[in-house]
Amino acid sequence: MEPLFNSLEYLFNYWPMTLLFVGVAFGIVVGSIPGLTTTMLITLTLPLTFFMESVDAITLLIGMYVGGISGSQVAATLLRMPGTPASIMTTFDGYPMSQQGKSERALGLGITASFVGGIVSWAFLAILSPPLAKLALTFGPWEYFTMVLMALVMLASLSQGSLIKGLIAACLGMMVHLPGVDPSIGQMRLTFGFENLESGLSLMPVLIGAFAVSQIFKDIINIDAKPPAVSVGRKGMFLNVADIKKHGVNFIRSSIVGTWIGILPGIGANIAAMLSYSAAKSSSKTPEKFGTGHEAGVVAAETANNASIGGALIPLITMGIPGSVVDAILIGALIIHNLEPGPLLFTTNPEIAYGIISAYLIGNIIMFGIMMFAVVHIAKVLYVPRAYLMAAIIMFCVIGVFAVGNSFFDVWVMMIFGVVGFIMGQVKMPLGPFVIGFVLSPIAETQLRSGLMATEGSIMPLFTRPFAATFFAISVVSLLWPLYSDWKKAKAKKASTAVE
Amino acid sequence: MALIHKSTLMVAGFAAAIAFTPGVGVFSADEVKAEFPTKPIKIYVGFKPGGRTDLVARLVAKHIKEKNLLSQPMIIVNQPGAAAAKAARSVLKAKPDGHTILHWHHSMLISNAMSVNKLHPNKFTSIGYLGGGSPVWTVRTAAPFNTLKDLIDHLKANPKSLTEAVPIGTIPHLMGVQLAAAAGFKTRYVGAAGGSDRLAKLLGKHADIALFSAAGYLKMKPNGIKALVFFGPNRVKSIPDIPTARELGYDVTWANPNWWLGPKNMDKAATAKLASVLKQAIMSKELSGWFNSHALDPYWTDGPAAMKDSLKVLAKLQKVVKDNNITKKKKKKK
Repeated sequence: MEPLFNSLEYLFNYWPMTLLFVGVAFGIVVGSIPGLTTTMLITLTLPLTFFMESVDAITLLIGMYVGGISGSQVAATLLRMPGTPASIMTTFDGYPMSQQGKSERALGLGITASFVGGIVSWAFLAILSPPLAKLALTFGPWEYFTMVLMALVMLASLSQGSLIKGLIAACLGMMVHLPGVDPSIGQMRLTFGFENLESGLSLMPVLIGAFAVSQIFKDIINIDAKPPAVSVGRKGMFLNVADIKKHGVNFIRSSIVGTWIGILPGIGANIAAMLSYSAAKSSSKTPEKFGTGHEAGVVAAETANNASIGGALIPLITMGIPGSVVDAILIGALIIHNLEPGPLLFTTNPEIAYGIISAYLIGNIIMFGIMMFAVVHIAKVLYVPRAYLMAAIIMFCVIGVFAVGNSFFDVWVMMIFGVVGFIMGQVKMPLGPFVIGFVLSPIAETQLRSGLMATEGSIMPLFTRPFAATFFAISVVSLLWPLYSDWKKAKAKKASTAVE
Repeated sequence: MALIHKSTLMVAGFAAAIAFTPGVGVFSADEVKAEFPTKPIKIYVGFKPGGRTDLVARLVAKHIKEKNLLSQPMIIVNQPGAAAAKAARSVLKAKPDGHTILHWHHSMLISNAMSVNKLHPNKFTSIGYLGGGSPVWTVRTAAPFNTLKDLIDHLKANPKSLTEAVPIGTIPHLMGVQLAAAAGFKTRYVGAAGGSDRLAKLLGKHADIALFSAAGYLKMKPNGIKALVFFGPNRVKSIPDIPTARELGYDVTWANPNWWLGPKNMDKAATAKLASVLKQAIMSKELSGWFNSHALDPYWTDGPAAMKDSLKVLAKLQKVVKDNNITKKKKKKK
């Protein structure tokens, strides 16, 4: 417990506290503007953190993460435009509530739900991480490989749209990682003689291109679209005891679902909200009310998407495996600061591991304060002309990418992946699996090959090591289950048509 | 006095500016060269900020600025990628006037010996070695080996019974190969990229042996590892009780220097000036003290001697790679 208190004590100094406050505030503002995502904000802030102490840099980024996911409900509720994908589910009931003149109530519920989800998942993060890091130290190449495999398959099958498109996106992401030095034999591969490809395609240009630049291309198409004006007051935002009682079970269930989905590598806030929403609906006595402005729907979605942040931080600090796309960027941030996220983070850099945990706690409290008192003003941010924003953002994209590697080649890579991301969006291919494939496949490849090296070519550990075997089995089932259920459905349909 | 000095400098600066304007030059080319440096010197580092190469470059630049050894500041440009080959190429493309230099080490020789790229020492101008450091071989503190002899005896009795955490084709790999060849034992490998990954593999019992720089070892020792052998030419002050491989009868050394390089045919006056200030820097109390406390060896080797030594090391590495069939061609034959 002592290191946690030490890091909380550090956090209460004026500089880290300022950074956290600024991070949360920025996160909320950017998160609430449709078209600007948390991922974008964090990728673009990263180069600015080069000259900060590592702990301060992480504090700032965690603040943005919490603020961004929470802020995105504002536009989702008022305009039916999710500020970030995390709030897609919030539009289902938040927007109808707003239409019925209950904007304040919807936002109040959403903000409180975000806060509760954050705090519950923080408890899991703080309690589970240290022992999990110890367990993770016993994980060898086979465990890591199967865990990543599991993450890739689950992500592909759980993200929006078809399994096939998800898998194609994941494979594309994995292919992008291939050029450069072969991690197992130290030789060049697939560089086609380009010296610039010898170091492979770096994380930041690909991520900034795929997320920020592609989003800008997408927004340019309907740059003149102006959201309709909505006014928000402050009345009725605070919940009373009766409300807490009414939604208590929902709060707890959604927090746990969100945390759990967050822990699973690769899948993040949007899927957490989706699953928690359907869990709330299926356990409700009045499922037909969901989608018509039902309070429980807002609570389920907003609790879970925030809870997923805390959950997603668990694999990040214990194993160095991203729990979501934003976490993939946070890992990049740690690496840029010369920290190696993994089971030893608690031993080698406890200030970072506990710094993340405390920043997440205090970040949630700050988020609650800012959102409750400033949501009236935040709602106005929605009407900032996007043309100005986009121009500034593309400039920061170029500066940011150049600053990471001092190389203009990276800027071209960013632009190319901007186009790739845009095209993928147009053909409804999810970006999540693409990025996670790109980030996770080096881990999978290195671990599998080093495992094979150690066993001199035998794959038996896949079946004999208990954790590896479990992860492997889950991967196989998650891959086959959708195919099986499709087949079953098709068969049932056939049977029913036959009867007719 | 100071005022006069300043104004003289300003006049000189103005004159120099005129001299550089095409067609107005009043000085001969040689006189202009004598004023090196005329603009900030860019030191390329092929790694992210924070590693040894970066840290040493920053300390040197800071020292030179504080002691006013050069009239212009030195700026660190981090250009990571392809094991520093990217930064090296940027420097090779620069004008050889001494304003763009490279701070690297012997990983260039490894890449060359492994034929990963075609960068060769003779493409550069060697400014000199500014100290260097050597690695240690470690095992878990709880391991039943207390000396290198224990470990080798065990491996000789049970070939391939222990695993080494190595990134293939890098220093840890080639050091292990050389020691194994010299002592006549065999290990298995498990891939592990960075120092932290090697430590995790070692502590998690997925590997039994791992190599760390002596400085890295000092930092990681409290986690439960012990060093059995030091690969430096001589013992170092910060780990006085770790014997060198040479003392134990194996001629396996690796003294990775901080090598300062410039593009080929770099201006002679500039090279000499850079060598003299770098030498002054490493000989200073502050820098040599920092080197000693970080298990590094502070020394200065002049450019030509450094080049000669590097070519010797390269020839040796090429032989190791060839003798042990580590390159691609052999792999395909298998």
